[in-house]
Amino acid sequence: MSKFYDVVIAGGGVIGASCAYQLSKRKNLKVALIDAKRPGNATRASAGGLWAIGESVGLGCGVIFFRMMSANRKREAQGAAVAVDSSTPHILPDSFFEFALQSNALYPDLHRELQEKHGMDFKFEKTGLKFVIYDDEDRLYAEHIVACIPHLADQVRWLDQTALREAEPSVSHEAHGALEFLCDHQVSPFRLADAYTEGARQNGVDLYFNTNVTEVLRQGSRVVGVQTAEAGKFRCDTLINAAGAWAAELSQQATGIRIPVSPVKGQILLTERMPKILRGCLTTSDCYLAQKDNGEILIGSTTEDKGFDVTTTYPEIYGLGQGAIRCIPELEHINLKRCWAGLRPGSPDELPILGPMKGVQGYLNACGHFRTGILTSAITGVLLDKLVNNEALPLDITPFLADRFEVKQTVAVKQAEMA
Amino acid sequence: MSLHPVIVGGGPAGMAAAIELARHGVHCTLLEEASRLGGVVFRGPLRDGVQLDYLGPRYAESLAKLHGDFLDRCALIDVCLNTRVVGAEGTRALVMLDADERVQEITYPQLLLAAGCHERSVPFPGWTLPGVILLGGLQLQIKSGVVKPQSPVVIAGTGPLLPLVACQLHASGVKVAGVFEACAFGKIAKESLALLNKPQLFLDGLSMLAYLKLHRISMRYGWGVVEAQGEGELRSVTVAPYSSNWQPDLSLAEQVPAQTLAVGYGFIPRTQLSQQMGLEHGFSVDGYLRATANIWQQSSEPHVHLAGDMGGIRGGEAAMLSGRIAALSILVQRDVLSSEKALHLRERYLAKLKSIVRFRAAVDRYTERGAGQTALPAADTLICRCENATRADIDRALSQGVQDMASLKMRTRVSMGDCQGRMCVGYCSDRLREATGRQDVGWLRPRFPIEPIPFSAFQNLGTDALNHE
Repeated sequence: MSKFYDVVIAGGGVIGASCAYQLSKRKNLKVALIDAKRPGNATRASAGGLWAIGESVGLGCGVIFFRMMSANRKREAQGAAVAVDSSTPHILPDSFFEFALQSNALYPDLHRELQEKHGMDFKFEKTGLKFVIYDDEDRLYAEHIVACIPHLADQVRWLDQTALREAEPSVSHEAHGALEFLCDHQVSPFRLADAYTEGARQNGVDLYFNTNVTEVLRQGSRVVGVQTAEAGKFRCDTLINAAGAWAAELSQQATGIRIPVSPVKGQILLTERMPKILRGCLTTSDCYLAQKDNGEILIGSTTEDKGFDVTTTYPEIYGLGQGAIRCIPELEHINLKRCWAGLRPGSPDELPILGPMKGVQGYLNACGHFRTGILTSAITGVLLDKLVNNEALPLDITPFLADRFEVKQTVAVKQAEMA
Repeated sequence: MSLHPVIVGGGPAGMAAAIELARHGVHCTLLEEASRLGGVVFRGPLRDGVQLDYLGPRYAESLAKLHGDFLDRCALIDVCLNTRVVGAEGTRALVMLDADERVQEITYPQLLLAAGCHERSVPFPGWTLPGVILLGGLQLQIKSGVVKPQSPVVIAGTGPLLPLVACQLHASGVKVAGVFEACAFGKIAKESLALLNKPQLFLDGLSMLAYLKLHRISMRYGWGVVEAQGEGELRSVTVAPYSSNWQPDLSLAEQVPAQTLAVGYGFIPRTQLSQQMGLEHGFSVDGYLRATANIWQQSSEPHVHLAGDMGGIRGGEAAMLSGRIAALSILVQRDVLSSEKALHLRERYLAKLKSIVRFRAAVDRYTERGAGQTALPAADTLICRCENATRADIDRALSQGVQDMASLKMRTRVSMGDCQGRMCVGYCSDRLREATGRQDVGWLRPRFPIEPIPFSAFQNLGTDALNHE
């Protein structure tokens, strides 16, 4: 009793849902979206920032990631924890900028389209992202960022202390100013995933929730379907791996090669609802803050290598809370409503893993989106739709192919030896 | 690290366990969220010098006995009042908000969870009007707050609490306009024999009914709430005959003027903490989630015990017995009591528990909720009061294929508010089970903190935790 589909998408997070939605718009393909809810689903845990420049230059989630990497590196080198090295901002390669910015540009239209055609509002808000500068080290860091992205000069604005106080009156008066990224906005992450999913469903995609893929079916080097625990066999021409933090396992079953995706834990705090006190999203060297459409302020996030563990831990909650109070002093008297943890699908070079793999037919990757899955879900859906339909792509995905890793890994080792 | 066993919840289960431990010379720490011990059943008045004669002599007696026994043993019991447990770190430590609003961590060698239950909210048009209140909450007001509700009062719901509260209200001078028991009289009568397992309770029940009759308070069986009306506050309540599956017959509906409507359609165990600890849970016949315990009241982690309504709704007397059994297990784990001695004592408690369980099963059978009640809310009736999610929002989500609680939460925001779903979980679970035909549609997973806490409360814990590093 097999079901027959043109495309089976394994993983119903924001990436899988976006692929399903884009594929569904053609209406000539039979598509199934299969999802098993697992604790730590990154889409539901996400903050929902569309911080195209911010994340590309290592702010937002990135600043914390970078601090961790940098601290680890120094700890290894000197046997002690040392602060972030401000002279080397953590800037991703040009290919990622292009990917992130193209995706970002899709949201205004996507927001209108999903609302008008499918009645789903994912709460797209134009907010900007301000990197709050407390001291000289922060300023140096910001200056380096600006120096690295001359081509985006028109999307960047400096705010001095007066301008910052006027723009964000709730930010601590200890802040010296801010560097704002004008095109970085926010959405509601789970509404975005729900909007894609519901749009896809209305366009005829079959949804299989609470369904676990137990095996990938192959004929020689060709993937021909999946076996599930709850809904039997699915035969398909193309299997899309959108399994988030769990993608490595699926790729191994499908191709025999374990793509290097591993869970990167992030903890997030949420305040009770508040009047609108933040006009835009904020990032500091301690945390980021985003006030959502209903007044809650979301404070993120840690970057931890703890496998699939999704417990919340008190020192980390405390640390994020302190960082938030430092930025917005009045939060001290506000209630913490909830905390949670999610698992980002991390890849070694922080770039996503997209498209086909050498020597395997009927299989496409759509994973490894690390900390920018919400932002880059839009372009990922567009790319995967075009890959399935053999059409020209809006950008070169060579840097994102899984096949890059064998080569890259040896390069990374060499660099480490030289350092 | 506390070397003593820790008990969460100073209701009958927690107090009885503390007494049993102390009886064997074992010191314990008892955490209670309220300003007095006793739980909702035996908290007693919050201020001194109050006569509680309207609650009946037997109640005063049991109240005095429990608190008296506790007082005799209090040298070995560290009581922390106004202390809320807001989270757990696995099955190693609890995180609590103390009376000074500071977050503290407490570890334990053995733990007893006796957090009780909360009331099942049943949404219907007008249920969020001021003046509409849950029955247990109302009883707590007359018992502990010593505050009378506005007359006249209409009571609607199911179970033995209805006539009891009606009598207590009348005795305290409140006008009761009517009591509406959802299940048919025949269904209760059929359980008479089983109800006689607790002859005293059965007699109490009969005398309550006689009392109501004597004072011309109408008690109607097979009737239930349909709607509450009023502008800004409650003015009247519409009631109607319920069919066997609790579908109201609106052609026979009646409007009853009322200032207060007390609604009591049952209880749901508080599993926020047990879920956060990762203990094993299962679903009851009534569809609620509860942590599972073995005959020693041990959870899936043997050093963590459960007692009272947390493990299933059985009331105060059963709570005390299960608390005592849990204490015996803790005593064995601490090598204070031999297995044989503990077994002997356990059998004695279990024998007493048996008749309560049979009585309770009869009550459960006649109070079995009918599925028809989920049809009461109108499209614009709020289901989740924290997030303003309406019945129409839930209908839409179900029509879009949402099949489990977590997805319903994401699609509609139900349970994303301060109460984390205590109020809407019952209705949402009922609707999902109805729509999918499945018994297990998931349950709301509580997040830390179980109740909102101010950021300033973290100072303590944070610095301690950082010092550890």
